[in-house]
Amino acid sequence: MAATDNPILRVDGLQMRFGGLTALDNVSFTAGEGEVTAVIGPNGAGKTTLFNCITGMYRASAGRVSFAGQDISGFAPHRVARAGMARTFQNLALFPGLNVRDNLLVGAYRHGASGLIEGAVLGPRARREQAAAEDRAAEILEFLGIPELAEAMPGELPYGRQKQVEFGRVLMQDARMILLDEPMAGMSRPEKTLMVALIRNVRHRYGVSFLVVEHDMPVIMDISDHIVVLDFGRKIADGPPAKVQQDPAVIAAYLGSEEAGQAVFAGAA
Amino acid sequence: MTSVSTSRTAMPIDEFAPSAPARQKAAARPLRWLWLAVAAAVLVYLPFVLHDRAILGYRLSNIQLLNVGLAQLNLTLIAVLGAVSLNYLTGCAGLVSIGHAAFFAVGAMAAAATGAQLGLPFLVSLVAALIAGAAAGVLAGLPSLRVRGLYFVLSTMALHFIVVFAFSEYQYAAFDVFGISYPQPAIGPFALDSALKWYFFLLPIVVLCCLACNYSLKHREGRALLAVRDNEQAASSSGIDVRVLRLKAFAFSSAIASLAGALQAYYLTTVSTELYSLNLAISFIAMIIIGGMGSIAGGVVGALVWLLLPSVLTGFAGELGAAGGGLAKIFVEHRPQVVNLIFGSLVAVLLIFAPGGIVGAARKLTKLVRPGAEA
Repeated sequence: MAATDNPILRVDGLQMRFGGLTALDNVSFTAGEGEVTAVIGPNGAGKTTLFNCITGMYRASAGRVSFAGQDISGFAPHRVARAGMARTFQNLALFPGLNVRDNLLVGAYRHGASGLIEGAVLGPRARREQAAAEDRAAEILEFLGIPELAEAMPGELPYGRQKQVEFGRVLMQDARMILLDEPMAGMSRPEKTLMVALIRNVRHRYGVSFLVVEHDMPVIMDISDHIVVLDFGRKIADGPPAKVQQDPAVIAAYLGSEEAGQAVFAGAA
Repeated sequence: MTSVSTSRTAMPIDEFAPSAPARQKAAARPLRWLWLAVAAAVLVYLPFVLHDRAILGYRLSNIQLLNVGLAQLNLTLIAVLGAVSLNYLTGCAGLVSIGHAAFFAVGAMAAAATGAQLGLPFLVSLVAALIAGAAAGVLAGLPSLRVRGLYFVLSTMALHFIVVFAFSEYQYAAFDVFGISYPQPAIGPFALDSALKWYFFLLPIVVLCCLACNYSLKHREGRALLAVRDNEQAASSSGIDVRVLRLKAFAFSSAIASLAGALQAYYLTTVSTELYSLNLAISFIAMIIIGGMGSIAGGVVGALVWLLLPSVLTGFAGELGAAGGGLAKIFVEHRPQVVNLIFGSLVAVLLIFAPGGIVGAARKLTKLVRPGAEA
């Protein structure tokens, strides 16, 4: 299996406890370079907690995370980002006071080095970085098909558009791996189709690896190379979509009964 | 991935695309320069009008000059520095501080130590104030690493009292109870010995500081500051070290406030510890709320309103009183109270009907009048 041959992300025995509650219990898996790895599971299975532990938002109680050959366990979020991992958030995290272009420009932060003062006195490095980031933002807005929205404020846009803007900011980071936390949640069917196309496009053109949490089963079965299934903080299955889909433990955990589960997964097959 | 190549064959999503109004930025350029030229001409001519109490040879009455004098305008310019720097910290970096008067005190102390005690040149003591302010700012920002919200605000208040205490100890030890006296400031052979000279010294400093704040917000780290204010999680997952950036913002803002404090001390020639009250700190907060949070213009407008409006109102109240009538007696006998009442009501009305401050309200208006135009 490719995921184990060439892993970009290796999660090893990750554990997260909140007081008496064990949100993640000894979770281990790998995600292959250039692949789309999905993390699925019922509500409260620990998917977002897993994301937060990997990206440094939470400090795991135990376990290790290594990314692109580097041990990033215990890294603060900004260091994880600088290591080349980008993420989106379940409930959208844009900067409401900044227009769409500026939202994207923040994504270029890690490529620059100029400071507050350099910007204040229009230092050459600050201007160079600004120009480079602006060009890149224009390219990405073009790529997303929304160049006309550069000046718009995020609050004026429909939800699906805002998700695209957030995706655009993540693309600005030029990350090796992108973590998407429910990228399709709250989207209409055509918006979902578009998002799937975007993910595919980015992955195939630039070899970016994805780790995706998503509830839409047909979409997951469609785009993933590899699926990790969580239930009550434990990993209960791990493998290619076809195999996971058949797994009786997954079906039972997911829907309480094997028959009901099969009905849901049938839509994806 | 290294770059997203510009493929014109973007995603097939035109079905969603709203037709955005075409922007005529290029057409707006010459008009912009014209406005700038007019503003510059007014700023240069204004002090002469106030100095001569006349415009183009025509004498103006006090009320025609809105009861404003040149000395007041100079103090307003200094207050603009305070308001703009606080707006940078509070409106742009999202850190509410009631320690801003303390940075004025730090600047005055740095100027006293270098200018009054060591006898160093005026400009050197201004630089000393900048450095002392930045250092004090980093110290003041340290609690932001651990506490937030109201607790952080309280930590800035603690800073205020510590600095004021240090100021009075320093004042009594090195000077006397009447205050610290500053030497005559001079730049080389040019002494700043009149309000008019001060105006032309202060104006470029204020303009440059406003431009610096504005430019920094339009580049990498300044924009990151706005991002941190809007969404800390998203900012940190974009690679921004929120804690270090906040300290930098604090240093930047307090350096400017401290410079303003040194300028104020020199301008007033004598300052005493009572000047740096909590009232002063809160008045800076009032300025940025009135003017508008999060924009440089908001700080400028807020300082202008806060420092000049009471005097304008006093002038009109005096006129009304002189004109006689029923209300006249009240105006004459209770002028300060009446002015405070009107001023307070104005601020309250502004807060209720224009929570974005004067600048926010003006932007809304321009959007209404010219939809599609950039406010």
